This record gives sequence, C-alpha cells and structure tokens, in this order.
Amino acid sequence: MKPNTYVPSLNWNKVYGNHAGTIYQSDEEKCWFIDFAGKIARFDYRNILKLKKAVYNIDIEALLLSNDKSGDLEIIFICACDHCYVLSLLEIIAIKDLLQGTFVMLELNHIIQDRLHRVIA
Amino acid sequence: MKDIMRIKCLLSADVEVLLNQQIKKEAHSSSLYLAMASWCNRNGFDYSADYFFKQAEEERLHQLKFYKYVLDMGGVAISPEITNIKNDFNSFREVFEEALEQEVNITQSIKNIAARCYKESDFVTLEFLNWFFKEQREEEYKARRALELFEVIGEEGTGRWEIDKHVGKIEYTSEAE
Repeated sequence: MKPNTYVPSLNWNKVYGNHAGTIYQSDEEKCWFIDFAGKIARFDYRNILKLKKAVYNIDIEALLLSNDKSGDLEIIFICACDHCYVLSLLEIIAIKDLLQGTFVMLELNHIIQDRLHRVIA
Repeated sequence: MKDIMRIKCLLSADVEVLLNQQIKKEAHSSSLYLAMASWCNRNGFDYSADYFFKQAEEERLHQLKFYKYVLDMGGVAISPEITNIKNDFNSFREVFEEALEQEVNITQSIKNIAARCYKESDFVTLEFLNWFFKEQREEEYKARRALELFEVIGEEGTGRWEIDKHVGKIEYTSEAE
C-alpha cells in the first residue's frame, strides 16, 4: 500500500520549526503534520505522544559514547501508526529538538487560550 | 490555533506520569500484602493472613481507581510491571513494620501528586485525591495499631498468638472521621 503523501496546506498552523524540519497543526483534522526527514507525516493525538515518548527514550549520550562498529541508526517505529523513521544520530538530535519546541509551543498555546478565552477575569 | 492537547485530555503530562507511577505503587503494595499474607499463613498466623489478604484486595481497588481516573480524563493508563516483591520476612513483627512503612510511602507519594496539582491548579485531580487522603488516614492508623500490639501484649509466651487474634479486630471508628 502506498503511504499517503501530504502537501503543506494554508490551513495548517506552524507550531515549531528548526533547521531540519517543521511541525504544523491542522485544526480541522485535529492532528499534526511533521515535515521531517524528507516526508510529511500525519500524527493524531495518540501517535504524536507515542512519538514523543519514543524519541525522548533514546539515550543520545550512550549513542555518542558508543564504540560499536555498527551504524548510529535508530529505528523509530510506532505501534498503530503508518510511519516509521530510520534516523541517524544527528537526525535524532534534530527531531528531539523539534518535538521539545513543539510541546513548549503547545503548552504556551494552552496558557494563551486559558487566559484569553476560557478564564474571564 | 486550537488547544487540541487540552481538548483530548484533562491531565497535564506531568500529572499523568505521577498518576501512572502511583498505579504502579498501589499494584506493588497489593503484591507485597499478598506476600505478607502468604508468610503469615505459612507460619500459622491465620488472622493476620486474612488481614493481609484483605489489605491486598483494598490496594488492588485503589490501583483500579487511579487507573480508571486516568482513562476517564483522557489519559493513557499503563498496566504496570511488578517485580522485586519481598516474600520472606525475618519475624512476625517485621511483617507489620514493613506494612506500616508501605502505608507511609503511599501517603507521601499521594501528597507529592497533590503538591504538583496545586502547582498546576489542577483542582479536579486534587478533589479526586481527597478520597485517598481519607483512606490513608485509616490505613496508617490500622498499620500503626497493629504494630503497637507488639508493645502492648509483648511477644513472650503466647504473646504472638494473642497479637494474631487481635490484628483482625482492628477497626478505624474514630470521631475524627
């Protein structure tokens, strides 16, 4: 089965981006699109949390200090998700930064929504 | 931009992690009480064995209460892996010392979750935790009373037999309820 391919839409909101990629949020579809490692992948609420957990669990320091002759590749496979990533060490650092930035921005958005719309002073 | 994270789940990521840790602690507690029940039964302390079987059941119910709360709020409840259960004890008294220590640990851990909830103004979870605080009053009281029987009755002669008989009768019927 050919995986879905996406093109950035004007309705997407950019949440966070760095040199290696960008994460967008689609309010209509209530999901996020991750433009990273040469593809745009769709992640719903559950899957983006699983991706975050998978990436945060990678011990980057151990990979850096490892003397193994094997390549420093990590496969990020998420259960019940169409996408999987095979990433080098530098890409892992980049996607971790991307996700960290995204979750900070989502938290900030939550605070702004609370202050401006939900809590009427 | 819509606040999808909040729409999907009431709990913050930090509180969700703490609640899942608590689920694990309650499960560990339940297993430990089961091990205590086994030890008491093996050594002829029938009333104490029954007491610990009941405690194990209660801790299991606490675990499920946390578990269902996390799910109800839109979070991910994680079924915990329980290892390192102490199955052997050096004495009858040690069993009760460990039981009290376990209850103190649980109370402290729930206080820690509440402190986090205060920080985040998560009053919904705080209200949920209130039930557990009341429950812990009873649990700690019972564990402390059981241990005090060792001082009051003494272990000499038929002391341990007497203590065992009294353990099942401990009840929390305080006016402070």
